[in-house]
Amino acid sequence: MSTFIQTLIVGLRLGSIYALVALGYTMVYGIIRLINFAHGDFLMVGGYTMIFTIPVTLALGLPAWSSVVFAILICAVVGVSTELVAYRPIRKRGTSMTALITAIAVSLLLENLAQAIPAIGPNPVVASQFFSTGGFSVSGVTMEWTTVYTIVISAVVMVVLYQFTQKTKLGRAMRCVSEDKEASILMGINVNNTIVLTFAIGSGLSAVAALMYLAQYPKVYTTMGALLGLKAFVAAVLGGIGVIPGAMLGGLIIGLVESFTTSYVSSSMADTFVFLILIVVLILKPAGILGKNVGEKV
Amino acid sequence: MKNRTAKGYIINTVVIAAVLIGFSVLKGSLGGSQTFKLILVPSLWQCCYLIILAASLNLVLGFLGQLSLGHCGFMAIGAYAAALISLACERAGVFADKSSPAFFLVLIGCILAAGILAALVGLLVGIPALRLKGDYLAIITLGFGMIIVNIINNLPFAGQEGLSMGSASASLYKNGLGFGTASKVTFVWVAIIVTLVCLVMMFMFIRSKYGRAIRAIREDEIAASASGINTSYYKIFTFTYSAFFAGVAGALYACANATLSTSSFAFTNGGILNSTFIVVMVVLGGMGSLTGSIISAIIMFILNYQIKNGLWVKSLTGFLGGMFAYPMLVYAIILIVVIMFRPMGIFGTYEFSLLNISRDIKNYRAKKALQKAGKKEADANE
Amino acid sequence: MNKKLACLLLAACMLVSLAACGSGASTTSAAPEASGDAGAATGEEITIGTISPNTGSLAAYGAAVTTAVDLAVEQINAAGGINGSQVKIVNADDQFDPTECLNAFNSLVSQGIGLILGSVTSGCTSAITDAANEEQVCLLTPSATADSITTADDYVFRACYADSFQGAIAAAYAKQSGYTEVGVVYCAADTYSKGLYDSFNAACEKYGVTVKAVESTASLDVQDYTNQFASMVKAGVQFVYAPYYYDVIGPYIVTQARAAGYKGIIMGADGYDTTPDYVVDGADLSVFNDVYYTNHYDPSDTSETVQAFVKAYEAKFGSTPNAISALAYDAVYMYKQAIETAGSVDPTAVRDALADTTAVYTGVTGTFSLDSTGTPAKGASIISFTSDGTKVTTKFVDVVKELPAA
Repeated sequence: MSTFIQTLIVGLRLGSIYALVALGYTMVYGIIRLINFAHGDFLMVGGYTMIFTIPVTLALGLPAWSSVVFAILICAVVGVSTELVAYRPIRKRGTSMTALITAIAVSLLLENLAQAIPAIGPNPVVASQFFSTGGFSVSGVTMEWTTVYTIVISAVVMVVLYQFTQKTKLGRAMRCVSEDKEASILMGINVNNTIVLTFAIGSGLSAVAALMYLAQYPKVYTTMGALLGLKAFVAAVLGGIGVIPGAMLGGLIIGLVESFTTSYVSSSMADTFVFLILIVVLILKPAGILGKNVGEKV
Repeated sequence: MKNRTAKGYIINTVVIAAVLIGFSVLKGSLGGSQTFKLILVPSLWQCCYLIILAASLNLVLGFLGQLSLGHCGFMAIGAYAAALISLACERAGVFADKSSPAFFLVLIGCILAAGILAALVGLLVGIPALRLKGDYLAIITLGFGMIIVNIINNLPFAGQEGLSMGSASASLYKNGLGFGTASKVTFVWVAIIVTLVCLVMMFMFIRSKYGRAIRAIREDEIAASASGINTSYYKIFTFTYSAFFAGVAGALYACANATLSTSSFAFTNGGILNSTFIVVMVVLGGMGSLTGSIISAIIMFILNYQIKNGLWVKSLTGFLGGMFAYPMLVYAIILIVVIMFRPMGIFGTYEFSLLNISRDIKNYRAKKALQKAGKKEADANE
Repeated sequence: MNKKLACLLLAACMLVSLAACGSGASTTSAAPEASGDAGAATGEEITIGTISPNTGSLAAYGAAVTTAVDLAVEQINAAGGINGSQVKIVNADDQFDPTECLNAFNSLVSQGIGLILGSVTSGCTSAITDAANEEQVCLLTPSATADSITTADDYVFRACYADSFQGAIAAAYAKQSGYTEVGVVYCAADTYSKGLYDSFNAACEKYGVTVKAVESTASLDVQDYTNQFASMVKAGVQFVYAPYYYDVIGPYIVTQARAAGYKGIIMGADGYDTTPDYVVDGADLSVFNDVYYTNHYDPSDTSETVQAFVKAYEAKFGSTPNAISALAYDAVYMYKQAIETAGSVDPTAVRDALADTTAVYTGVTGTFSLDSTGTPAKGASIISFTSDGTKVTTKFVDVVKELPAA
């Protein structure tokens, strides 16, 4: 029984991180229908920013985790510049395939640029402790407080985002743009600004995800975004891409699948099972668990 | 038209024969030199499998219009299949050493088997994956690439212990398929012939009804399907066909390296077997032009070689030097620049042809003259 | 049908011509062309080639090798060089990839270099051993520990012990400390980790220790090891062998293992070196007690050779040298001794000098001779981590010179 609880807790820990990253992914995809392969790398940028700004916050007398504010700003700047420099020109002139390739290229560029800059360099850096350790016990197994924080923060972000897109003017503008770009322009919505705002919010979210990731797995390295981004995308697709609660659901499911596979099936085939689940879901219900099947207009 | 076709055949056969003869003469005169043995021949092997990889990915990426990021997974299957079959043959006593005629048969057999096995896996992957489009397909193929590498790692007879630890690699070299420096020189013509055959098959595919069908699917899938093309069939066929060549390229890779390690095929590999590197090659050459893929594979290989070993690079200092220490960074920048300023790549959809060379040059000159005349008129009107 | 053939032959043309151009350019601008033989000694200079992973995920090891080699060469040249000739180093990057390692090797040999020091990892080195034997070029690897890299009558030697030795020491240590049931957590995708698991397993069988639980991870990028250690707890073992690298021990494995309830001994191999630089600041570091590992040397060893090396390295580079640096340093001096014994830089003569099992080398990592396959018979240090809660330091435990009998 305690193995089950332990596995469940590890699954929740992994899943909560995936959920938080997937929320940012799904936001951007929902609006511009482009997989931002670089999302994981924005997370890496956020992570490194926090490493560098922790001394600043400590000098100001603030706790270490308040460096996430700097990270959010820097990530938003990086995200918006990527959109302005790389994605927008391609959207204007290229096909969706070239946009996808551009996303891959940006991701590669960020990863390798980080490796080439000597201050960041190829070696990993271990972060310091963000939140206090300890947790509460469930039948002999400890559930750490950081995991609880991550789940709570993911849930809060999900609710806030959902309300934002449903109730506020800007949020409704985002939904319009994702449905029909030309009609939105006719309705007087500034599509370019809306997209920029979306990127800013999505990238800012990746900085928050970086904080929670580092709180539980305190190592920053230049390729940390690659696999994390990929799994988060799988989570977003699983839950229904473009659907905000779906991202959270998908993230938790992927985390649990990974953990239970490691414990009960084979400890080295966890990634395989995650992708197999994705393939099965995409074949049976291509729109994802919570997604709606939108027909294609000919 | 028949005369023209015959003329084409004759010209091409003569030129190919001339090139091969020229190469043998070159090999004869340079054969013993260190440079030839150590630099030129291994480079030739690497160029061969890179060309096959780039051209085969172009079938899916350029002509079919679908982004597949799992190409290296099929290459891995081909490489391991060829290596294991050759080791099994050796242990069963089919051939004694590399100079026996039986070895040559085993070599060809391994290359074919590698291709077929990779094609089978391509079929299995393609059937579920090709129901999806665009972004989803990219992620699924990426996932499959990772799954394949993961599974190979966990197989007891392959994986980390099978073919990369010293003793097994020694067997691969001495007994199985792996060629040492001298054998590479003796068998380099095999690599060249295999590459030529693969390219012939790919060109035939493009010129046939299959090529026309997948180009139609690329332009507008629904219109193609409404015109009576069985899109699923053609998509899956192309995917499988391209996986076959990736497997053959993998077999050539196994020949050229004495050891096989799954980390070379992983997505996070920073070297040139990265699926992303192959995408860069295809985009640079021109999606939709096999000639482009061939040329860009060679260019990228030379670029990669110069970055790693060129002495002019070592003398660069500062940030530029640091940048060149990470070749992937250079390739990412190349990819972004190409996509933004010339998304059609160097060659676009142009295919080179000896037979039509005079016609192409005439067309090009006519086009330039027209442009010039148009400009003159515009200036005169102002 | 005709156009494609034309394209092909054009491709063939380009292939031949461009490849020729490309290689020609790089070799004409290189050091003097040597046709046939691979000796690169003039009266003035001795050139030794080095191959190291300067970029890629093990770049730290690449830097460790290049810095230590530079230090050794500087000292040798200052003392008059080898046989009166100054030593020059030509470095090539293998990017932690076996194919690139072969390219780097070929590029060095084509420049006429006959003595090579490299590579650092077993995976890359095993890609070039056969080429070294075929080209008759000496290959001395400072740190590749896979067993089958060196065989008798070949041109490959090493400065470190082999994996079978390291894994067996851990098994012997377990037996000696009284554990009859042990567990293993290893990485299935890594040559080093898997090799150590195999040798540990084999030695446990020999010593009568039962391996009760085995868990693995799919890659070196895995972040969560809690489930693996939870099953160790479930199996009730108090000794776990976990051969990973420093970049996952510090931030992930030890803390997660303790949090999963595992309070026993965690033992590793030389990959644990430099872990104290990769621990979480501000966390409770007392979890690092009861963690042991085998290593090639201990920088706090008070012997004169070790301290001279450590001080010289710190003075030149500002940080404490790790075991890879120590091994690379020793490897350069091994070459020096072999060249002096052989009296020339001809690779075959140097190889014969190195193959002499009576030659004794004294280095930072010990005093040793090479056995008939070219592997040193030297001891390994067992080191443990200790922590008062805020910092992790190393503590020397023991040196094991020979494996105990079963």
